[in-house]
Amino acid sequence: MGIGPTETVADHAADTPATAQEIAGRSPTKIALDRLRSDKIAMICLGIVVLFVLIAIFAPLLTRLFGVELRGGVPIEDTKADSFPIIGPPDYGFTWEAPFGLAPTTGDDNLAEWFYGARTSLFVATVATLVSTVIGIIVGLLAGFSRGWLDRVITFFIDVFLSLPFILVALALSPIIVSRFGADAASLERWSMFSLLFVLSALTWMTLARLIRGEVLSLREREFVQAARVIGVPTRSILFRELLPNIIAPIVVSISLGLPTFVTAEAGLAYLGIGVAGIPSWGQTVNRAVDYFSTYPVYLYAPVIGITVLVIALNLLGDAVRDAFDPKTRR
Amino acid sequence: MSSMTHSGAQPQVATAPNTDRGGEPVLEVTNLRKYFPVKSSGVVRRTIGQVQAVDGISFQVPKGGSLGLVGESGCGKSTTGRLITRLWDPTSGSMKFEGREIGNLSNRQMLPLRKEIQMIFQDPYSSLNPRHTVGSIVGTPLRVHQVVPDRQRLDRVKELLEVVGLNPEHYNRYPNEFSGGQRQRIGIARALALQPKLLVADEPVSALDVSIQAQVVNLLQDLQREFDIAFLFIAHDLAVVRHFCPDVAVMYLGKIVEITDRETLYLRPHHPYTQALLSAVPDVKQAAIGGRRERIRLEGDVPSPVNPPSGCRFRTRCWMAQDICAKQEPPLLQIGPRHKVACHFAGEHGAMPTSPITLDALGVDQNGDHVSGETKSAEDLNAPGFADTWTDLESHKKSSERLVGDHIADRPQ
Ligand SMILES: Nc1ncnc2c1ncn2[C@@H]1O[C@H](COP(=O)(O)OP(=O)(O)OP(=O)(O)O)[C@@H](O)[C@H]1O
Ligand code: SF4
Ligand SMILES: [Mg+2]
Repeated sequence: MGIGPTETVADHAADTPATAQEIAGRSPTKIALDRLRSDKIAMICLGIVVLFVLIAIFAPLLTRLFGVELRGGVPIEDTKADSFPIIGPPDYGFTWEAPFGLAPTTGDDNLAEWFYGARTSLFVATVATLVSTVIGIIVGLLAGFSRGWLDRVITFFIDVFLSLPFILVALALSPIIVSRFGADAASLERWSMFSLLFVLSALTWMTLARLIRGEVLSLREREFVQAARVIGVPTRSILFRELLPNIIAPIVVSISLGLPTFVTAEAGLAYLGIGVAGIPSWGQTVNRAVDYFSTYPVYLYAPVIGITVLVIALNLLGDAVRDAFDPKTRR
Repeated sequence: MSSMTHSGAQPQVATAPNTDRGGEPVLEVTNLRKYFPVKSSGVVRRTIGQVQAVDGISFQVPKGGSLGLVGESGCGKSTTGRLITRLWDPTSGSMKFEGREIGNLSNRQMLPLRKEIQMIFQDPYSSLNPRHTVGSIVGTPLRVHQVVPDRQRLDRVKELLEVVGLNPEHYNRYPNEFSGGQRQRIGIARALALQPKLLVADEPVSALDVSIQAQVVNLLQDLQREFDIAFLFIAHDLAVVRHFCPDVAVMYLGKIVEITDRETLYLRPHHPYTQALLSAVPDVKQAAIGGRRERIRLEGDVPSPVNPPSGCRFRTRCWMAQDICAKQEPPLLQIGPRHKVACHFAGEHGAMPTSPITLDALGVDQNGDHVSGETKSAEDLNAPGFADTWTDLESHKKSSERLVGDHIADRPQ
């Protein structure tokens, strides 16, 4: 094909975009991120979340830095006859030896437990969000794009899963998984973590799947999808190259809602006796500390404040992210 | 009325004087059908009906030429375009691209042919992926078909943008930064990337401002000339295709009602529907020679393609309709060297015959009842192109007249 400008078009001048000076284009995602960057509250919350993430990552280093030890309590040496610790709250003043005090009965250090608890909380929330998001994306894409019987089968399963009562299934399912596989202490630790993650993600992917199915149903009728098919773009590429970038917004929304929910859910389920065994977690600490609230409130405050601050920060950040990605507020 | 017969046409059968005009067809469509099932709602989704979106159409597009496909909204134009580009599978019928049947090819078999048949879409706001840069959009066909090595792809994209009259340095912008006309140019560049032999343009300008429309049509015209691309140009009115297509097919409710060359269509349309469409087009030429077209208003809505009217599909809105129109479907008769029309009362506006001209071809009387001893004509009414021989209107009329009226006695009781 011989190439040369076939015509100098008159509408070229009249038609140039308003932002003629900047040649490089800005993708809708970049616009959203720019917008997010100028949001002060979002940036503060991001700072807090990053701080928690750093705590989680560097938990071993931090415990050493503070001179405390995880699960290092010796009940006979560290607690009195009434089971309260011999140093720090509630009976004595603040001490650097145990900034958050020691746990009653066991004499374990609370600060170390808190650092590692942050680790578990964030790990559980991140993995559960990731798994449920990936399941939601794949199932939603498949259902929306396949139409026909596959769509109906998938939609049926979405509805079935949506109708399951979360708490009840969690209460029923996790003891089964744990008692079936968790024979010794090591495998109990592994399987209790697995059952928690499984329950959290298996019961939460449906909302996103449904959202994405709806988006794909309308997107697949758009002409750019047909253009891709006329060109001969393979179906997998159509799904992941053409459609996926267009459903970033619901995915971001789902992630921003999922993270704080899972942090809370971990704590809530631990309180109900479902959760990680043998690993420190904020939920487990809360579960234990509730009994001592009247006599040793600081024991409860540490994990509760941790959960609250993290969840509020995640929620506010999520709000800002949703606003930034909202197509209605996009320029 | 001598103008109704074509000069040079012999009484019964005539020879086409200009067979060279179209040349080799690049696309031949024969008796193409597309029915969409209508499903009941509920758990067991039975098929309870069919949308007869395209119902047995035949036409051909000459190499490097262009055929216009015109009709109201919902008549099946886009469906036709999407069948040819194999976005949808045809229910039945044949589509031959350069002599090769493509109607039954699988997606994989179709892949190499995708280079040859491309499409320009109607809506420039939905035909470009809003999350991809222009470079990525125009580069996609190059990538998928490995037309150029990866390193040269960007250069090629820039060339293509220049060909369609866009600034090549805008390749890393997003579609939302362009106007409708510019977006349509991007879509054209994408379709050109594979150097197709056939371009299906589905109402490429109807979403654009009138001022931009002409520019885009001019661009398409230049491209067609320069790269020798055949066009199937879909439009919903006759104004746009007039400047683009030497041949025009008029569709109504899934069927072609008239297909002919531009001159005949605009000066002597023989189908009432074409006449109505044409009367809506402002016409400078006609005004200049003093003949002012009266505006024909069509009553009512287009009937549902799920349950189209019996006989002639246009009869619910046709001012000429008579009993036979409800009983017998008018065959698409070739009545001139490059003129086919499907109407029992085909004729120029104002001079349409009072008795049906199709009786001889169908072997029926003027009430649409079968006449014993008469057979349907053996003419192939589904041929995609124009035959070298045809029967002109006057002859049809004469031979049909003998079946009018006095055959009531012949009718089986
Ligand atoms: N996927 C589909 N399923 C069922 N019916 C369909 C489908 N696509 C189109 N139809 C029906 O087929 C008929 C023809 O549609 P088509 O889009 O080809 O019309 P059109 O001539 O292109 O109209 P327009 O000018 O509005 O684009 C319409 O009645 C439409 O409702
Ligand atoms: S066949 Fe009858 S109804 Fe159909 S267009 Fe001709 S006159 Fe009208
Ligand atoms: Mg259409």
